[in-house]
Amino acid sequence: MGFKFQWGVVLETFPLLLSGVKLTIIITIGGLLFGFVLGVATGLMKLSRSLPVRSLAGAYVEAIRGTPLIVQVMFLYFGVPMAVGLRIRPMTAGIIAIAVNSGAYIAEIVRGAVQSIDPGQIEAGRSIGLTRAQTMRYIIWPQAFRRMIPPLGNQFIISLKDTSLLVVIGVAELTRVGQEIIAVNFRAFEVWLTVGIVYLMMTLTIARFLRMAEDRLAQRGKR
Amino acid sequence: MIRIENLHKRFGGLEVIRGIDLHVTPGEVVCIIGPSGSGKSTVLRCINRLEEITAGRIIVDGSDITDPKTNINQVRAEAGMVFQQFNLFPHMTVLQNVTLGPVKVRRMKRAAADTLGRELLAKVGLAEKTGSYPDQLSGGQKQRVAIARSLALQPKVMLFDEPTSALDPELVGEVLEVMKRLAAEGMTMVVVTHEMGFAREVADRVIFIDQGVIQEEGPPKAFFSNPRNPRLKDFLGRVVANL
Ligand SMILES: Nc1ncnc2c1ncn2[C@@H]1O[C@H](COP(=O)(O)OP(=O)(O)O)[C@@H](O)[C@H]1O
Ligand SMILES: [Mg+2]
Repeated sequence: MGFKFQWGVVLETFPLLLSGVKLTIIITIGGLLFGFVLGVATGLMKLSRSLPVRSLAGAYVEAIRGTPLIVQVMFLYFGVPMAVGLRIRPMTAGIIAIAVNSGAYIAEIVRGAVQSIDPGQIEAGRSIGLTRAQTMRYIIWPQAFRRMIPPLGNQFIISLKDTSLLVVIGVAELTRVGQEIIAVNFRAFEVWLTVGIVYLMMTLTIARFLRMAEDRLAQRGKR
Repeated sequence: MIRIENLHKRFGGLEVIRGIDLHVTPGEVVCIIGPSGSGKSTVLRCINRLEEITAGRIIVDGSDITDPKTNINQVRAEAGMVFQQFNLFPHMTVLQNVTLGPVKVRRMKRAAADTLGRELLAKVGLAEKTGSYPDQLSGGQKQRVAIARSLALQPKVMLFDEPTSALDPELVGEVLEVMKRLAAEGMTMVVVTHEMGFAREVADRVIFIDQGVIQEEGPPKAFFSNPRNPRLKDFLGRVVANL
């Protein structure tokens, strides 16, 4: 019984995946928005003069970077509710998981970008009488932020792909929808191929926007 | 204007400044010379507390900057600092570089700060460049912007740390010219420099620092024509040989 590729299945599958695409995008963007806030806060904490503050931020970053995302997701969805006696919806758990996970990586992006700014910039700011906070806000941050854009874009792509792991808690994102289609038509080859193409279209789109943003910044930097 | 008493500064185990006393009166121009690594920058950086001092006392315009009750940001605004590497803010226009201090530290209105900024940029010969970004300027122009940026806070003292050492030789003159004019207007200045011609012409007093202490000081004429300290003789000999 030879395998015969069915184009028809691919074409049928595309529209069925749209609801999954929508959830994948919502979770990615929602997760990254919170992840960005968390990451900036944690990244700045890692640069704090206070050792306890630095250690707290460091512990969070290490814990997340040192464990698999799938374990973090299951801990959050199955583990935490047992301990606190509070159920959370899969979708909420998904957004929290992406936020907490990306936050740790974004913290490192923020820390790295801030530290890459010439210390002479801080000295110049301080020497005209700016406070530490003002120096950060008006001098260091604007320069560091430009350097964060490429790695943040990269994290965007990583987090988007990471949402597929939420299949384990039953969030109806793209991968999950693919699985459900296969449960009906048994066409694993065509469906997974199509799912892969849809992910690729999304990541290539992000990469494209990213390059445009970088070009714009490079132009402005040259001016 | 500046009174330094028995200044000591240690980096880890290394004692870089080993007891310096220096009194700069209002309107005085003091040039500091000395070999590389002798502690010249460290002295300047202690004066506006970019470095914490290990021991001693520094009083700037009546405020003891080593006293924790002193508002260090205010003190820093009173002592303008010009760096060898300019340290302009690359993401801001020339005018924004100059007006940031007046607006954020002196709480000046934007319009007034812009007027002040344009005046100062005209004064350093850069009236045309207000809208440029630092990376569109030559080194000499950058350093003149940096001087204007410090002046914008209307400081009581200006500190210069080798302001011309990073410049191509043909750009040194334009920066020294601006500094000469400042000196002539009565600005109190402490200048670390290798420009012996400038020191000779503009300084009221020249100080030779080596191994973390003041080895010799005096008015430039006597200092250069009749150096007594053997290390200073040696240093001047080498500097002249390099010209
Ligand atoms: N932040 C620092 N940490 C450790 N050592 C330093 C630091 N800054 C300066 N030094 C040391 O202090 C000495 C004096 O430095 P500096 O004041 O820059 O000398 P100069 O300006 O006369 O060339 C040098 O030996 C230098 O290596
Ligand atoms: Mg130096």
